[in-house]
Amino acid sequence: MRDFSYTRASSTEDARKAALEAGAMILAGGTTLLDLAKCGVAEPDQLIDISHIRGLDGIAVDDRAATIGALAKMSAVADHPEILSAFPAVSQSLSLAASQQLRNMATIGGNLLQRTRCPYFRDPSTFPACNKREPGSGCSAIGGVTRNHAVLGTSEYCIATYPGDLAVALVAFDAEVNLGTRTVSVEDFFLAPGDTPEKETVIAPGEMIMGISIPVSPAARHSTYLKVRDRQSYEFAAASAAVGLEFETDGKTVRGVRVALGGVATRPWRARAVEQALVGKVLTEEAIASAAALAMEGAVAHGANRYKIELAPRVIARALQTVGGLA
Amino acid sequence: MTIMEPRKHGSAADGMVGGRMSRFEGELKITGSATYALEYPMEDAAHAVLVQSTIAAGRIVSVDTSKALAMPGVLAVLTPEDDLGLRACGDWMGSAAKDEPYYPLPKVVQFNGQSIAAVIAESREQASEAAKLVTFTYEETPSVTSFHDPNAGEGKLMPNLVVNWGDAEAALAAAAVRIEATYETPREYHVAMEPHGLVAKWDGDELTIWEPSQWSHGMARMYAEWFSVPYENVRIVSPFIGGGFGSKGQPLAYGAVAVAAAKRLGRPVKLAVTRPQNFTSYGGRAATRQTISLGATKDGILQSIVHRGMSETSIYMDYPEQTGAATPVLYKVENFSSEHRVVPVNTVTPGALRGPGKNPSSYGIECAMEELAYALGMDPLELRLKNYADHDYQSGKPWSTRQLREALTEGAKAFGWDRRSHEPRSMRDGNQLVGWGIGCGTFPVIRAPSEAMIRVLADGTVEVVSGSIDMGQGTYTILAQTAAEAMGVPVSQVVVRLGDSRLPGSAIAGGSMLAGSITGAVHKAAIAARDEIVGLALNTPNSPFAGSGANTLVVADGEISTTLADGPKVTIAEMMKALGREHLEIRRNTLSDDAQEAAEQRRAWTTMARVMGPTMGEFSMHSWCAHFAEVRVDEAFGTVRVSRMVSAFDCGRLYNPKLVESQWRGGIIMGIGQALLEEGLVDPRNGRTINNNVGDYLVPTNSDIPDLQVISVGVPDLNASALGGKGVGEVGIVGVAPSIANAVFHATGKRVRDLPITLEKLI
Amino acid sequence: MTRTIHVTLDINGEMHSLDVEPRVTLLDALRDHLELTGTKKGCDQGQCGACTCHVDGQRVLSCLTLAAQVEGRQVTTIEGIADDDGTLHAVQRAFLEHDAFQCGYCTPGQIMSAVACIREGHAGSDAEIREYMSGNLCRCGAYNSIVAAVREAAELTAGVRQKAEAA
Repeated sequence: MRDFSYTRASSTEDARKAALEAGAMILAGGTTLLDLAKCGVAEPDQLIDISHIRGLDGIAVDDRAATIGALAKMSAVADHPEILSAFPAVSQSLSLAASQQLRNMATIGGNLLQRTRCPYFRDPSTFPACNKREPGSGCSAIGGVTRNHAVLGTSEYCIATYPGDLAVALVAFDAEVNLGTRTVSVEDFFLAPGDTPEKETVIAPGEMIMGISIPVSPAARHSTYLKVRDRQSYEFAAASAAVGLEFETDGKTVRGVRVALGGVATRPWRARAVEQALVGKVLTEEAIASAAALAMEGAVAHGANRYKIELAPRVIARALQTVGGLA
Repeated sequence: MTIMEPRKHGSAADGMVGGRMSRFEGELKITGSATYALEYPMEDAAHAVLVQSTIAAGRIVSVDTSKALAMPGVLAVLTPEDDLGLRACGDWMGSAAKDEPYYPLPKVVQFNGQSIAAVIAESREQASEAAKLVTFTYEETPSVTSFHDPNAGEGKLMPNLVVNWGDAEAALAAAAVRIEATYETPREYHVAMEPHGLVAKWDGDELTIWEPSQWSHGMARMYAEWFSVPYENVRIVSPFIGGGFGSKGQPLAYGAVAVAAAKRLGRPVKLAVTRPQNFTSYGGRAATRQTISLGATKDGILQSIVHRGMSETSIYMDYPEQTGAATPVLYKVENFSSEHRVVPVNTVTPGALRGPGKNPSSYGIECAMEELAYALGMDPLELRLKNYADHDYQSGKPWSTRQLREALTEGAKAFGWDRRSHEPRSMRDGNQLVGWGIGCGTFPVIRAPSEAMIRVLADGTVEVVSGSIDMGQGTYTILAQTAAEAMGVPVSQVVVRLGDSRLPGSAIAGGSMLAGSITGAVHKAAIAARDEIVGLALNTPNSPFAGSGANTLVVADGEISTTLADGPKVTIAEMMKALGREHLEIRRNTLSDDAQEAAEQRRAWTTMARVMGPTMGEFSMHSWCAHFAEVRVDEAFGTVRVSRMVSAFDCGRLYNPKLVESQWRGGIIMGIGQALLEEGLVDPRNGRTINNNVGDYLVPTNSDIPDLQVISVGVPDLNASALGGKGVGEVGIVGVAPSIANAVFHATGKRVRDLPITLEKLI
Repeated sequence: MTRTIHVTLDINGEMHSLDVEPRVTLLDALRDHLELTGTKKGCDQGQCGACTCHVDGQRVLSCLTLAAQVEGRQVTTIEGIADDDGTLHAVQRAFLEHDAFQCGYCTPGQIMSAVACIREGHAGSDAEIREYMSGNLCRCGAYNSIVAAVREAAELTAGVRQKAEAA
């Protein structure tokens, strides 16, 4: 790691101001930043430690929304009884991520800002070309080992997968990010790579994630997060889905449905086409299968990641069957 | 916490050979006080960090060290332009070293991830940051990054790995039923939890190295030859090793760099190889490919085996991962042909990883046997029993002991194999297809001489002293048990000192040869020590037994007595006092009488020259096992989980069943990783191992592993070792991968012939 | 010269003052500056769990924690979980009894993780133990015995608690 200075911020205003200085970066749980600093990807001159700021780690659920402070730990949110009951998919997305040690360290704000696991991004000395690190330098992943790269939302500049789980659930349930002076939807918070893959979120200089809120909804209460991977635990998703369902009073016709995908796209991926195809329909295996296939419209494979195009709709389908009581 | 349930006490027999004593050094490990190589306090140590190549092949035209040298705390940067003054060392077998220099930081890059520079600084943080600033100008040359590369070619035939008997081609052509298939395994890595590294310290021309070592004497010899100092001047200290699995048996380039840096700077140097650097600082298991043809009669009698295998090696050394190693010994077959080739590619030279050769070999033959069973419509268990080898058809020799039939039948019984339904896809549980498969394994009994010292101290303590090592196999424990039993003292009275090349010579902890070898030496020394005490007790005037008229004495439970009921009883401490001895020291070895000269002894401990293979005597000697695996495959996702395993082993007598069971399970778990997860991914454009970390190179986690039932069906084999044991450490992994691949076929009807069986291969 | 800062760390109930560069991790501070080498470095990348220790009672990875970050917090390492009189923690005893380790290198991390796993209430079943111990890799493959040891220690802890509550 670079030789940086370390200061503790006493307040969020303090932190935001300090982070405006050249080479300054905000340190919370450290699980992404220190890892990337060791890889040589992050090269901070100053770290502004916000983890000792009080009052930013609250978790509250009322009849309208869950409000979670930026410094709440993943494990605390995952195990929070009201999150578990009102937002099971959110809780599961957290419990199925990383390991308990990392979940005890990583904060909700930091979790949203975690960066891709693309091995080319993470190895600057061997692969100088990476548009995410060095705009205009090229993409080393294209033409390389691409088993874990994205099939949705890619561009000729970048095919790196967004690795997180929580944001997938947040996107499904219309959660919002509080940036201090403004609030944006989690879906709008993340940017597709396009020709500027170095820009991953809309967060602007001087802004800092203060917390998130997730509106209470019948679909969120009736939801699940399904994560498929080769290893049973402690691995990023090959494909994952956050889904929620609300039935009409007949108990079988879909009134509302939410579907988002992880592990297959460059950003947390809301699958609206799947949702639209199901609303108003009686939930059957056939209806689910034909709707789930729509999630892959526009998918592009780069060699070894082709299986994701096959896998992702099956993950959506199983998740819908599970919440719909068909599995 | 202070309130504790009473401690479970085992029986007194736990401390004897064959007892289930808990790990002797265990308390040090559970309290964090076992000291591993990089943990010794070292005054004034400088820290070295390696810089590795980022191309697959080429010449280093120039190195720019200026930025690194300008960084705070940096003391030196070693590059290919520095002549470190090293000479080549002799190989494992003890062949004389070539009279040529050795360059641990070479000017010509042979693979991506090769060490080509080192930065030494006051702190590791400083060295590591400065290491990022060393830049190289390369003149790249064409490379071959794997044996899948079209330019890789067919490689070189290894003449010593050509085996033929009968007329395999003709018998195959004439066989009523034939199958042929090609199987592949990828590069696999040791991933010992303790990364490699060392601390090197010179005192004049005396060199001390703290480095995890599976072979303290052999490594000391090779370091001595590199640095042109007498063997006696080099000391390797390695009492605790955080896992080796074959990777810590020889000094490596980074070791030479650290020792050279310590010499140049005149202060101790600590070099920690980072986890990513571990993937290319030494070789893992080579990628292999083998084609197997089996011919059989309609009722399933094997007529012929034809095997053609190959493995990757580096461009500078031929290291074969012998795909034909298990093929000839598992079944009765009158016609056999096997060849193995090596294909040079731009990789670090592969190395020995748990069950070398036997492991990929059994993967091939055990999958092929199952394919033959389906071609015949026969139960795979029945096919294996039907072709049971009554003797070793390769050497023509009888087996010393071979309980593989018992392993198959006992394992099948415990597993419930008779409830199997033969058709693929015929067993299901909800979304999951269920499959059962068998894989047999074997590993040769390799014998080697060792020596040991027993020191009896004035307080009655019995010290076992050996330069052998314990990387988790249980050397401390079984040597304490061996000495306790042979000396006739409680195990609590025994102390064991290991892991130092200054201590008595020993076989390598590799090839499953250490336990059989070193227990033999300790047993011999302990019996001699007991006889010595008895002799002194009878013949020394001050002894309570002097003039007792007894012509022999009994030593039991730490007390010396006559065979008479009312004779005197004396503890060993009391006897030492009576004899006026501070200590009593007995050193014994298991070398033959013609090898007792000092030079021959040295050669025996520091090379493989005296190691004996499985058929060098009148018998063919091997450990055996049969694994029964149950998998559950989610058909929609292609994910495979092992839900149950039963494994039955013939490893002869078990010196400590508790520890043996742990080792077997460890091998099985590594086999599960091999079957389902582990694969070094190489970028074909530049030969970089891109998943060079344990987040991307996946080894099993706790939740990947079900309860593993292990069964011993062995009988003591006194041809194999002094105390009747056969090797334990390697055989556990052998046969696991095919049992799982076969179970996946049974579950899904899909035969995946290239490991690992990841989800995209099944959807 | 690189800049150093002065930090005072509460480790196993003892205060330690040291001057370190801000970039020094808690793991390196323990191992290289304080001679508390029981906490192990297996990957230095947050991927193996060997460096697990407790900060304010929660299990965390010390390789991804700066020493400076934990000033003012309570750090517990493997050296600090036995009683002052040396009586081993129930988890340590269970590890020994069940042979839940071989080489011993991942063991301190496993034990620190297990102690926390039980305290968190995540040792309710074998499946739960497996999942919540999955952040600690063991290449020797002691997983079966680790599960048995955690189960036994959890039962023992629950028994002790019941007895205490009854009294």
